[in-house]
Amino acid sequence: MKELGVEVLSFSVDSVHSHKVWQETELSKMVDGGVAFPMLSDGGGKIGEQYGVYNGAVDVRGRFIIDPEGVIQAMEVLTPPVGRNPDELIRQIKAYQHQQATGEVMPSGWQPGDPTLKPTDDLTGHVWEVWKP
Amino acid sequence: MSILVGKEAPDFEASGLLDGKFGKFKLSDYRGKWVVLCFYPGDFTFV
Repeated sequence: MKELGVEVLSFSVDSVHSHKVWQETELSKMVDGGVAFPMLSDGGGKIGEQYGVYNGAVDVRGRFIIDPEGVIQAMEVLTPPVGRNPDELIRQIKAYQHQQATGEVMPSGWQPGDPTLKPTDDLTGHVWEVWKP
Repeated sequence: MSILVGKEAPDFEASGLLDGKFGKFKLSDYRGKWVVLCFYPGDFTFV
Protein backbone atom coordinates (compact mmCIF):
# COMPACT_ATOMS: atom_id res chain seq x y z
CA MET A 1 0.00 0.00 0.00
CA LYS A 2 2.89 2.34 0.81
CA GLU A 3 4.40 1.95 -2.69
CA LEU A 4 1.02 2.80 -4.22
CA GLY A 5 0.75 5.94 -2.08
CA VAL A 6 -2.38 4.60 -0.40
CA GLU A 7 -3.41 5.38 3.16
CA VAL A 8 -5.28 2.62 5.00
CA LEU A 9 -7.76 3.18 7.83
CA SER A 10 -9.39 0.24 9.61
CA PHE A 11 -12.61 0.21 11.63
CA SER A 12 -14.44 -2.00 14.05
CA VAL A 13 -16.97 -1.21 16.76
CA ASP A 14 -14.34 -2.11 19.40
CA SER A 15 -12.79 0.58 21.58
CA VAL A 16 -9.33 1.99 20.90
CA HIS A 17 -8.23 0.22 24.11
CA SER A 18 -9.29 -3.12 22.64
CA HIS A 19 -7.36 -2.24 19.46
CA LYS A 20 -4.30 -1.54 21.61
CA VAL A 21 -4.50 -4.88 23.44
CA TRP A 22 -5.03 -6.72 20.13
CA GLN A 23 -2.09 -4.88 18.58
CA GLU A 24 0.17 -5.66 21.54
CA THR A 25 -0.85 -9.28 22.15
CA GLU A 26 -1.43 -10.63 18.66
CA LEU A 27 -0.89 -8.30 15.69
CA SER A 28 2.64 -7.39 16.73
CA LYS A 29 3.46 -11.11 16.55
CA MET A 30 2.11 -11.31 13.00
CA VAL A 31 3.57 -8.06 11.64
CA ASP A 32 6.89 -6.70 12.81
CA GLY A 33 6.12 -3.60 14.91
CA GLY A 34 2.34 -4.15 14.61
CA VAL A 35 0.07 -2.77 11.92
CA ALA A 36 1.31 0.55 10.54
CA PHE A 37 -2.06 2.16 9.80
CA PRO A 38 -4.57 3.87 12.11
CA MET A 39 -7.06 1.49 13.73
CA LEU A 40 -10.21 3.48 14.39
CA SER A 41 -13.04 2.85 16.82
CA ASP A 42 -16.49 2.97 15.26
CA GLY A 43 -18.47 2.91 18.50
CA GLY A 44 -22.13 2.16 17.85
CA GLY A 45 -21.39 1.57 14.16
CA LYS A 46 -22.10 5.21 13.24
CA ILE A 47 -19.51 5.29 10.47
CA GLY A 48 -20.40 1.79 9.29
CA GLU A 49 -24.02 2.94 9.07
CA GLN A 50 -23.01 5.77 6.71
CA TYR A 51 -21.18 3.27 4.49
CA GLY A 52 -23.92 0.63 4.62
CA VAL A 53 -21.85 -2.02 6.42
CA TYR A 54 -23.22 -1.89 9.99
CA ASN A 55 -25.56 -4.82 10.69
CA GLY A 56 -26.91 -3.57 14.03
CA ALA A 57 -24.21 -5.32 16.06
CA VAL A 58 -20.90 -5.09 14.18
CA ASP A 59 -19.37 -3.69 11.00
CA VAL A 60 -19.25 -6.48 8.40
CA ARG A 61 -16.23 -6.82 6.08
CA GLY A 62 -16.59 -3.69 3.95
CA ARG A 63 -13.75 -2.24 1.92
CA PHE A 64 -13.82 1.07 0.03
CA ILE A 65 -11.31 2.66 -2.37
CA ILE A 66 -11.50 6.47 -2.19
CA ASP A 67 -9.67 8.62 -4.75
CA PRO A 68 -7.76 11.87 -4.05
CA GLU A 69 -10.93 13.89 -4.79
CA GLY A 70 -12.74 12.04 -2.00
CA VAL A 71 -14.92 9.97 -4.35
CA ILE A 72 -15.64 6.28 -3.63
CA GLN A 73 -14.45 4.38 -6.72
CA ALA A 74 -14.89 0.78 -5.56
CA MET A 75 -16.31 -1.23 -2.72
CA GLU A 76 -16.56 -4.84 -1.63
CA VAL A 77 -18.71 -6.08 1.24
CA LEU A 78 -18.48 -9.59 2.65
CA THR A 79 -20.33 -11.28 5.51
CA PRO A 80 -18.00 -12.14 8.40
CA PRO A 81 -17.04 -15.80 7.69
CA VAL A 82 -14.85 -15.13 4.64
CA GLY A 83 -11.72 -12.97 4.57
CA ARG A 84 -10.72 -10.66 1.75
CA ASN A 85 -8.22 -10.99 -1.09
CA PRO A 86 -5.56 -8.26 -0.85
CA ASP A 87 -4.33 -9.06 -4.39
CA GLU A 88 -7.70 -8.01 -5.80
CA LEU A 89 -7.61 -4.79 -3.76
CA ILE A 90 -4.16 -3.96 -5.14
CA ARG A 91 -5.27 -4.79 -8.70
CA GLN A 92 -8.24 -2.43 -8.41
CA ILE A 93 -6.12 0.40 -6.94
CA LYS A 94 -3.57 0.05 -9.77
CA ALA A 95 -6.38 0.04 -12.34
CA TYR A 96 -8.02 3.20 -10.95
CA GLN A 97 -4.68 4.98 -10.61
CA HIS A 98 -3.84 4.07 -14.21
CA GLN A 99 -7.25 5.26 -15.39
CA GLN A 100 -6.93 8.61 -13.64
CA ALA A 101 -3.39 9.12 -14.95
CA THR A 102 -4.08 8.17 -18.58
CA GLY A 103 -7.84 8.20 -19.22
CA GLU A 104 -7.53 4.62 -20.43
CA VAL A 105 -9.93 1.93 -19.24
CA MET A 106 -9.24 -1.60 -18.06
CA PRO A 107 -11.16 -4.50 -19.60
CA SER A 108 -12.51 -7.46 -17.65
CA GLY A 109 -9.79 -9.55 -16.01
CA TRP A 110 -7.14 -6.84 -16.54
CA GLN A 111 -3.90 -7.29 -14.62
CA PRO A 112 -1.17 -4.63 -14.27
CA GLY A 113 0.92 -4.67 -17.43
CA ASP A 114 -1.90 -6.02 -19.63
CA PRO A 115 -3.15 -3.96 -22.60
CA THR A 116 -5.71 -1.26 -21.78
CA LEU A 117 -8.41 0.30 -23.94
CA LYS A 118 -8.59 3.93 -25.05
CA PRO A 119 -12.26 4.88 -24.94
CA THR A 120 -13.23 6.55 -28.25
CA ASP A 121 -16.34 6.53 -30.42
CA ASP A 122 -14.40 4.45 -32.98
CA LEU A 123 -13.96 1.68 -30.42
CA THR A 124 -17.68 0.94 -30.22
CA GLY A 125 -18.27 -2.36 -31.97
CA HIS A 126 -14.51 -2.83 -32.54
CA VAL A 127 -13.34 -3.93 -29.12
CA TRP A 128 -12.93 -7.45 -30.56
CA GLU A 129 -10.20 -6.13 -32.91
CA VAL A 130 -7.99 -4.70 -30.20
CA TRP A 131 -8.73 -6.86 -27.18
CA LYS A 132 -8.14 -10.60 -27.42
CA PRO A 133 -8.12 -12.12 -23.95
CA MET B 1 -29.72 2.62 0.60
CA SER B 2 -28.61 4.08 -2.72
CA ILE B 3 -25.42 3.39 -4.67
CA LEU B 4 -22.21 4.64 -3.05
CA VAL B 5 -19.62 4.24 -5.81
CA GLY B 6 -19.03 7.39 -7.83
CA LYS B 7 -20.28 9.51 -4.91
CA GLU B 8 -18.35 11.57 -2.40
CA ALA B 9 -17.30 9.43 0.57
CA PRO B 10 -19.14 10.39 3.78
CA ASP B 11 -16.76 12.28 6.07
CA PHE B 12 -16.21 11.11 9.64
CA GLU B 13 -14.11 11.77 12.70
CA ALA B 14 -13.13 8.91 14.98
CA SER B 15 -10.69 8.01 17.74
CA GLY B 16 -7.95 5.68 16.68
CA LEU B 17 -4.70 3.98 17.53
CA LEU B 18 -1.50 4.64 15.56
CA ASP B 19 2.04 3.77 16.64
CA GLY B 20 0.81 2.95 20.16
CA LYS B 21 -0.80 6.38 20.60
CA PHE B 22 -4.44 7.44 20.60
CA GLY B 23 -5.59 10.27 18.34
CA LYS B 24 -8.44 11.71 16.27
CA PHE B 25 -8.70 10.87 12.59
CA LYS B 26 -10.85 12.59 9.95
CA LEU B 27 -11.38 11.40 6.41
CA SER B 28 -11.19 15.01 5.16
CA ASP B 29 -7.58 15.18 6.44
CA TYR B 30 -6.71 12.65 3.73
CA ARG B 31 -7.96 14.73 0.77
CA GLY B 32 -5.43 14.54 -2.08
CA LYS B 33 -4.49 10.95 -1.25
CA TRP B 34 -5.79 7.53 -2.18
CA VAL B 35 -7.47 5.97 0.85
CA VAL B 36 -8.69 2.46 1.63
CA LEU B 37 -11.28 2.05 4.37
CA CYS B 38 -11.44 -1.41 5.84
CA PHE B 39 -14.29 -2.44 8.16
CA TYR B 40 -14.16 -5.75 10.07
CA PRO B 41 -16.44 -7.40 12.64
CA GLY B 42 -14.17 -7.42 15.65
CA ASP B 43 -10.70 -7.39 17.15
CA PHE B 44 -9.10 -10.82 17.57
CA THR B 45 -10.73 -12.10 14.39
CA PHE B 46 -9.09 -12.49 10.99
CA VAL B 47 -9.30 -9.37 8.84
